[in-house]
Amino acid sequence: MQLRVAERVGRLRWIFLPLGLCALTAVGAHAAADVVGDRVLWCVDRVSAFFDAVFASWSVTAPLVDLVGLSQRSFFARALALAWELSADALIAIPLLGYDERDGKTELRTARALLRKTPTPLRLVRPLATVLVAIAGACSVARMVQGSVQLTLHASLLSHFAAACALFALLLVFVPRAGFRALEHADQKGHLVATGVFGTLVLAPMMLAALYASPLVSFFR
Amino acid sequence: MRRLAPIELLLAALCLWAGWYHTPAGALVRTAGAWIFRTHSTARPLLAYYGAGVYQPHAAPPPLLTAPVPPAQALGYGAWATAEHLGTPAALSARIKALAARLDGVDEAAMLALFCGEEPARYALTRAQDEDGSPRLEDLARALPPRSADCIAQASQALAQAGAYALAWPLPESIRITSPFGMREHPVLGIRRLHAGVDLGTAVGTPVRATAAGVVRRASSDGVNGRILVLDHGRGVTTMYCHNDELLVQDGEHVRRGQVISYSGNTGRSSGPHLHYQLDLGGQAVDPLRYRAGHPRISSAGAAD
Repeated sequence: MQLRVAERVGRLRWIFLPLGLCALTAVGAHAAADVVGDRVLWCVDRVSAFFDAVFASWSVTAPLVDLVGLSQRSFFARALALAWELSADALIAIPLLGYDERDGKTELRTARALLRKTPTPLRLVRPLATVLVAIAGACSVARMVQGSVQLTLHASLLSHFAAACALFALLLVFVPRAGFRALEHADQKGHLVATGVFGTLVLAPMMLAALYASPLVSFFR
Repeated sequence: MRRLAPIELLLAALCLWAGWYHTPAGALVRTAGAWIFRTHSTARPLLAYYGAGVYQPHAAPPPLLTAPVPPAQALGYGAWATAEHLGTPAALSARIKALAARLDGVDEAAMLALFCGEEPARYALTRAQDEDGSPRLEDLARALPPRSADCIAQASQALAQAGAYALAWPLPESIRITSPFGMREHPVLGIRRLHAGVDLGTAVGTPVRATAAGVVRRASSDGVNGRILVLDHGRGVTTMYCHNDELLVQDGEHVRRGQVISYSGNTGRSSGPHLHYQLDLGGQAVDPLRYRAGHPRISSAGAAD
């Protein structure tokens, strides 16, 4: 009976596994973009101060200084974070929808072969970013599980256990698959160098932010 | 592998649930779905997903004050300005104080407890401490599930308004306001536009003081705002001081309440010596006089920008 249920669910893996991987990475990208909001605002402030100094020098461009006031800077910082996150989604989350499962040994063998190829930055940045962002996503999902269990069932131990289980399972089952698919996708022909450079520019800071958004140890305290 | 399928399905469902409610990408999909099926979407505006969903623009100005706000009751006034029906400022202050005493003395957690309940606030505080995060409202909000979004937004508005009520004044109260907050004809450009702060007509070289403790977010100079200082006081409260003659602090420096941060001047696009003082709550310019019962006299004669 149990096996029959597993078998029936297993027939749907082709749809829920890619969707789950994509969602996990999207959650991680949001966690990473959100956690460095203060730094994004700091960057926007610096750029705005620079342009204010330049534009205010001429009467024709001076009105542009008022156009981007203090309030607009907060808006721009958030809009920049949104654009950054959606770009990361397009670069690393959407390709995961193309995940096509093979057995574990084949996946491992393929991954090894892909890693042995010339390790250019363009080839390695995406898989590395995908893994780090997926880990940040796993932490976010675990945190939501913990919060929901705690505030629904009012059971602290159970919520801790549920969060730790969700985190462990995601790290074990989903994160390696996301990394494998990203490695495979990065190796596919047809990627323009320009796209790769853009990807690296978007994903390199995203990797650092993802590290910052992954409080792994906190779930086991 | 297939035996793990139910677990994988559960994990995928958790990821989709988190993505659906917790990310701007999920909000986009929800909005598109609602548009296609002609239903109502509950997704928030895309930019409201940042800063852990706190510091959203304020909908209505706070009620007018009849008496000065005692500094110790600023939190109560902030809660009262956000939700008048909860009680009087004095009663709310006492409630917040009692809640803070039970929540490690953290005001942010106390305000969260007032709007979301004590258990969620206690849980969020523990979680933020586990993550070694500071107990800022953003850190507390990140620990709560998506269904708490509305009460988090209320708590953040209350904290921001409390921050505004607690502000001091940058110059002596005897200095007149030469141009108040609001729509006006610009004295230099001659066009009608919003004046996002108040102009205080004062002589060049008058010491300007920080209205609250904070961090210098910007100390720069340009031909429009002159020598400009922007202070971030936390909890979504930011103040700006323009047309200074000399700045005494630098980017990133921490300042105390009442510390002299600059000398007022007549730099930038200005019709005479004055200080342009601006208050922003959650990224939106508000009238600083709404948060003060007694304020300097307003006079139409004098310098402005």
